[in-house]
Amino acid sequence: MNSSAKKRTAKIEQLGSQPFGPALTISRYRLANGLSILVVPDHSAPIISYHTWFKVGSRNEQPGKTGQAHLLEHLMFIETKNLGEGEFDRLLEAEGGENNAATWVDWTYYYENVPASAFQVVVDLESDRIANLVLSTDRVASEKEVVESERRDRVEDDVDGAVSERLYAMAFGREHPYGWPTIGWMRDIEAFSPDDCRRFYRAHYAPDTATIIVAGDIEPIDALASIQRAYGALAPGKRPAAKPVRIPRLRGEKSRTMYWPTPTEKLAVGWIAPAFADRDHAVVTVLDQLLVGGRSSRLYADLVREREIATEVRMSLAPFQATSLLDVWVSMREGHHTPEALRLLDKHMRRLATELVSEAELNKVKNRLELGFLGSLETVPGKAETIGFSETVVGDPGHAFVRLAEYRGVTADDVRRVARGLVASGRVVIRVLPESRRGKA
Amino acid sequence: MGLVEESRAIPIVDVSVIVRTGSLVDPEGEEGLARMAARLVRMGTNTRSAEEIDETIEALGASLSVDVTHGTTRFFGSVIQRNFAPFLEIIGELLTSPGLRARDLAIIRREALAELLAQRDNDRWLASRAFRTLLFGAHPYARSPLGSARSIRAVRRDDVVRFVERNFTGNNLVVGISGDVEGADVPRLVERAFGTLPARAVPEVQLAKPTRTRGRRIVVIDKPGRTQTQMFVGTLGSRLRDADFHALLVANTAFGGTFTARLVREVRVKRGWSYSAHSRLGADREREAWSLYTHPSSENAVDCLALQLGLVERFVRAGVTGRELAFAKSYLIKSHAFDVDTPQKRVEPRLDCEIHGLPASFHERFVEHVRAVDREAANEAVARRLSDRDIAVALVATASEIVEPLRALGGLTVEVVPFARV
Repeated sequence: MNSSAKKRTAKIEQLGSQPFGPALTISRYRLANGLSILVVPDHSAPIISYHTWFKVGSRNEQPGKTGQAHLLEHLMFIETKNLGEGEFDRLLEAEGGENNAATWVDWTYYYENVPASAFQVVVDLESDRIANLVLSTDRVASEKEVVESERRDRVEDDVDGAVSERLYAMAFGREHPYGWPTIGWMRDIEAFSPDDCRRFYRAHYAPDTATIIVAGDIEPIDALASIQRAYGALAPGKRPAAKPVRIPRLRGEKSRTMYWPTPTEKLAVGWIAPAFADRDHAVVTVLDQLLVGGRSSRLYADLVREREIATEVRMSLAPFQATSLLDVWVSMREGHHTPEALRLLDKHMRRLATELVSEAELNKVKNRLELGFLGSLETVPGKAETIGFSETVVGDPGHAFVRLAEYRGVTADDVRRVARGLVASGRVVIRVLPESRRGKA
Repeated sequence: MGLVEESRAIPIVDVSVIVRTGSLVDPEGEEGLARMAARLVRMGTNTRSAEEIDETIEALGASLSVDVTHGTTRFFGSVIQRNFAPFLEIIGELLTSPGLRARDLAIIRREALAELLAQRDNDRWLASRAFRTLLFGAHPYARSPLGSARSIRAVRRDDVVRFVERNFTGNNLVVGISGDVEGADVPRLVERAFGTLPARAVPEVQLAKPTRTRGRRIVVIDKPGRTQTQMFVGTLGSRLRDADFHALLVANTAFGGTFTARLVREVRVKRGWSYSAHSRLGADREREAWSLYTHPSSENAVDCLALQLGLVERFVRAGVTGRELAFAKSYLIKSHAFDVDTPQKRVEPRLDCEIHGLPASFHERFVEHVRAVDREAANEAVARRLSDRDIAVALVATASEIVEPLRALGGLTVEVVPFARV
């Protein structure tokens, strides 16, 4: 596919290796053009998972151009100078492979899961689209419609998605790179031109902005030979320096009421939380699990099981590089109202901020987190994703095991200290009321 | 009773305990009984309350869920390896000496009613539910394991106790264990956990054949303010035991089973109408649904439906091309590596054979079955099993904007149901 065979001479440098758990090893390499490569041989199944992570996400966009990183992610599958429309997917599926991609605030990644025999096909496809993407007017227009459909499905017609989008915008501000939605505002998606897409592609896609993770049934020497041949001639990019992300401070309570065609009320509450690499991110995760991790957790047991005022209570903690958001979502039962849930949430947060959690309860949560951690590593693609995320967000491909140790080390004092911080900080509150209540609330 | 797949790769064990009875046995007017029974069993034992059970399971670093389908009641979960034995014992305790308390049943009844109401926020679920009701009519396959508000209220504790006594027997149980276990230990642990269940056969559920209702029928689930249309289009599909099942599976893969298949190409790639587009071949003891799923914008919904009806016509009448068939076969054969890449995935087809009484070769020889399909067999299976005349369509939309354009398509009956009545 790449026709520049004569230039495929870029040197490859080994930068060391490190354990990934008790059984696996990550070896790190770099091509002369800056491409980073992490190889993890794992012969548990005759498959390979090939990930390409770019340190570009919606934080690299501008107000008025939101959703650019995600739209480009879609367009990366369409056409290159060497491959016609749809050939990328057709060649992969012909090998029995599957592929997809994801974009969030700090990163975009692409993956292929293939039988081990198809490794070379993947290397050729990925090295081609990093340099030779074609962004035609027709295809950009058509893919914008697909993204608009995705947005309607996940946001416009979905109460969870619509509330989450507003929560982030209120917490960080609509002009903050973590405050606009990664999928983009609808009017921005509609306005993108092929030139916008080309500029973004040229600015952010180059070998020196990418990290490749190869996990599975292959040895480093074989993987590297293919990668060196395919990527060696690609020139490094001229990426603009990333702007630092400002960390906002919430003061007091910002609240809003939304109306929706829903039979029951919903409540969403958000707090600014530590960056992913911060050890306190692990402490907040433990706090989150104490409140909603499983049927015996405090908030779930109180709201869903004992008082029966909610059908669902969940929390999520964003894994962002600069700072993150902790949010709670409560779906009320018919006849119950969000102020009840907010009062009880406050009660449980205050309790965490004043009373020390018992060792037994802490251990229960830590065991659950260990189960979740191990579950994420059950498959070869799961390992590749964990490594790619850790490398991109923290700069340490083995950080997942560091995080597991941090969970194990969280103390009752840590939980109380972090809970105190959250209780004392500002927050965002969104109440969703049924359409029928409009004008009556 | 126990099937095992060992792997030392990750110190985790997955457990599935399956009762070979599901919601098909729910009596008329008590739909939801099997699901409520399963959840009541999960609640607690003769000696331990729901709270104690949850505390114990979660303290072990385990999770335990319950799922009820038409044909099965499944207790499934995972546990960190060091706590596998006590975890299995707790599941055994739940099944062999369930508390079945009236107080807990009242809680479950209220939960089930609240969950049913909450589903009204889920447009895809609403469309799927309406599709099955329209397609299967009075047949039990039309039922939701959730039941209805009326039937959930009608379930009494005596009904649940009878259901559990009749169906939770040793002969009706299949256990699958996968992951970091010593295979030789498993039979003893399974026997210790479930050995006291009565050894009694459970009669097979008598199931009528679903019948195809003539004509092309649409039900519009009316919901205000929709910007898109969740849509299912389909007809009766296949039985697992049909001799042409694999031929139909290959044909469906060519039609809408991969990202480069005909349906995806026409709906998403060429027109950008729907982020998701795929077709699915359901299969069970009797003929399940063959369905197409898309979610076009309200603006494109009628055109997208017309396109899909045209694609179904062409598929049923002309089948797939030789090139499409070869591609689908290659995809299914090569991607089979991902059907067996974890111990849990390896034990699943074995459980499937046990549950459905299929020969082991059904899954073990999957690749050979697919390889043997030729174009003639695939297209004959499509023509024999599927219909382009008798089609059910269910969609969630704002009715005032879509009903007239749907009627203008011609040859369709259109019914409107408010979303609060699904």
